[in-house]
Amino acid sequence: MNSLQQILFLLGKDLRIELRKKESLVSMAFFGALILVILNIAAGIGKQVDADAGAGILWVAIIFSSVLGLGRVFAREKENGCVAALLLSPISPGEIFIAKVLVNFCLMLLSQLVLVPVFYVLFGSNFSAGPIALVPILLLVNLGFSTTGTLISAISAGTRRNEVLLPILLFPLILPLTALAVKATAGALAARPLTELMDQLEPMIAFCLIFSAAGYLLFPFAIRED
Amino acid sequence: MTPLNRTTFLPALAALMIPLAIGMIFFYAPLERSMGIIQKIFYFHLSLAATAFLSFFVACISGIMYLLRRQRIWDARLAASVEIGVVLTTLVLISGSLWGRPIWNTWWTWDPRLTTSLILWFIFASCLILRSAVDEEGKRASYSAVMAIIGFVDVPIVFLSARLWRSIHPTVIRSEGIGLESSMLITLLVSIVAMLIFWAALFRLRCSQHLQENALRDLQQQLQH
Amino acid sequence: MTETNGSAFLSIDGLRKSYGGLEALRGVDLELQRGEFLCLFGPNGAGKSTLLKIIATLLRPSSGRVKVLDYDLDENPQEYRARLGMVSHQSFVYQDLTLLENLEFYAALYGVKDPRQRALALLEQVNLADRYDMPAGHLSRGMQQRLTIARALVNDPALLLLDEPYTGLDEHAAKVLRDQLQLLHDRKRTIIMVTHNLRRGMESATRLGILARGELVYLQEKSAVDHASFEELYFQHLEAV
Repeated sequence: MNSLQQILFLLGKDLRIELRKKESLVSMAFFGALILVILNIAAGIGKQVDADAGAGILWVAIIFSSVLGLGRVFAREKENGCVAALLLSPISPGEIFIAKVLVNFCLMLLSQLVLVPVFYVLFGSNFSAGPIALVPILLLVNLGFSTTGTLISAISAGTRRNEVLLPILLFPLILPLTALAVKATAGALAARPLTELMDQLEPMIAFCLIFSAAGYLLFPFAIRED
Repeated sequence: MTPLNRTTFLPALAALMIPLAIGMIFFYAPLERSMGIIQKIFYFHLSLAATAFLSFFVACISGIMYLLRRQRIWDARLAASVEIGVVLTTLVLISGSLWGRPIWNTWWTWDPRLTTSLILWFIFASCLILRSAVDEEGKRASYSAVMAIIGFVDVPIVFLSARLWRSIHPTVIRSEGIGLESSMLITLLVSIVAMLIFWAALFRLRCSQHLQENALRDLQQQLQH
Repeated sequence: MTETNGSAFLSIDGLRKSYGGLEALRGVDLELQRGEFLCLFGPNGAGKSTLLKIIATLLRPSSGRVKVLDYDLDENPQEYRARLGMVSHQSFVYQDLTLLENLEFYAALYGVKDPRQRALALLEQVNLADRYDMPAGHLSRGMQQRLTIARALVNDPALLLLDEPYTGLDEHAAKVLRDQLQLLHDRKRTIIMVTHNLRRGMESATRLGILARGELVYLQEKSAVDHASFEELYFQHLEAV
């Protein structure tokens, strides 16, 4: 049995449920847009936001909204004990990890399809670069956030206080990634070329690689019962 | 040594060493020219930072050992070192802040070392919150082991990314040598050794407390069945 | 699973499991041949679920070992899991997927050749074929239990583990389960069932055992068991708790 196929079956199953119920996606996009609106008002109506502050605002909205979707992915597997069913099946925990990372990655990407345009509508008049310039940064953060988040959500879903613990455990870990992303985004919004942002992008790539490896190795311990 | 001696030896030694270190800081080490008396906080600040970092290193190793061996003792070591580490990091942040106020003219700045300490504090404090949220012993141990390992793995990345901000933190230990007068250096070494002994005493005490707590809970369970 | 002559299908040696200071299993030894149907009885907290979870590789034993044919349960359990089925207290089905999608997903995960056909055939077997495109969450409890039974059979398991399968089952689902177990038994599949329902357990098993306080206190071929005295023995253990 091909493990790539198994990963795809699991990914397909999760995306099918998500597209049918839309519970994570709708709440992620809605909550993210809400944060953007609140921050727009907080920044002062009629005031222009520069690239530095704009980058921070975008990432606050993305990080806080993504955590909503992340929590659901595992909570759903815990209903009816489906995690145990997966552990009983020939798919290995590492493959479950990869599938869940991909699910979270897709959810974040889909919600960003809504959030980034909303961000440009509310704040965009002052930026010299369009949303396409943000794509590499978005993809890197999505990967780093999904790997770390999948590992942590497996832990928090095993406790009684899933929703509260997930951000408490996750945010400190991804703080460096977020800080780098904010700085890189500020550069991208100011229309600086990608090569000038490598100072930030390189450590972000390192973060993704390290947490992919650590997540893959530690995930089995986070979902097994003993 | 008898058990009583063994448990009291380290605390007794710490009780001797810490006053000695304080004495040396104030009466042996010379007054620094530009900073004056404020500089004295540095001896404690650095020894606290060293032991705090040691705690998180021990927590990470204990986490790995627990996941490999599944022995209670490693969970007790992990819990003890995370607890001590959080307390020490709090003191590092406070002492650094007290020093930074007159010298840098600010309580807080986003310097790499400050940022790293603060994020470490958040990570390991969240690990303590996690421990309090899980009742089952096995789960609690596995989860906090995973957190301790991943938290420690995060350290180099945090430090690397924080370097992107300009650093104003004094670098005492450079690759060319140590930028300290010899009497200051001796005082510093004594302070670090005193703090390490204190750390070891505390660590041992908390470990045995955790183990006793477990033993007590076992007895309770056996009585109920 | 290929048959190895002479050696047992499943053998358990000195299995122990403790949670903290609580010993759930204190040295269980057991041997089963292919095609045997073992029914284990025991009071609550006797360690029945723990035993099944260890056999299912969901838990690791504190000491002792489980051996099933030549499979390596510690290092490479994937191959073994592919031939294993389990019915537990929980239904293991996704509420938001339809019956067909649920079974198809699990069949695909187990590498069944034609997952859709397998899923349809199973739905037919448990009398749910007419509701194949209903979300599992909309089913009545009895129907959901039948789906759970079908789910455990997607890979045509060589070893089936059942943890209290009759708890809360309605008459129809209980009949479906009994028929399916009979079918599997006829095809020489090995079955281990854990229950405290004496009547249900006795009707189809070939071997009977009692697990009490983490120990296998009784194990006998059913043909050699006198029903009345077995019942009495079981109630003695129930009362001893």
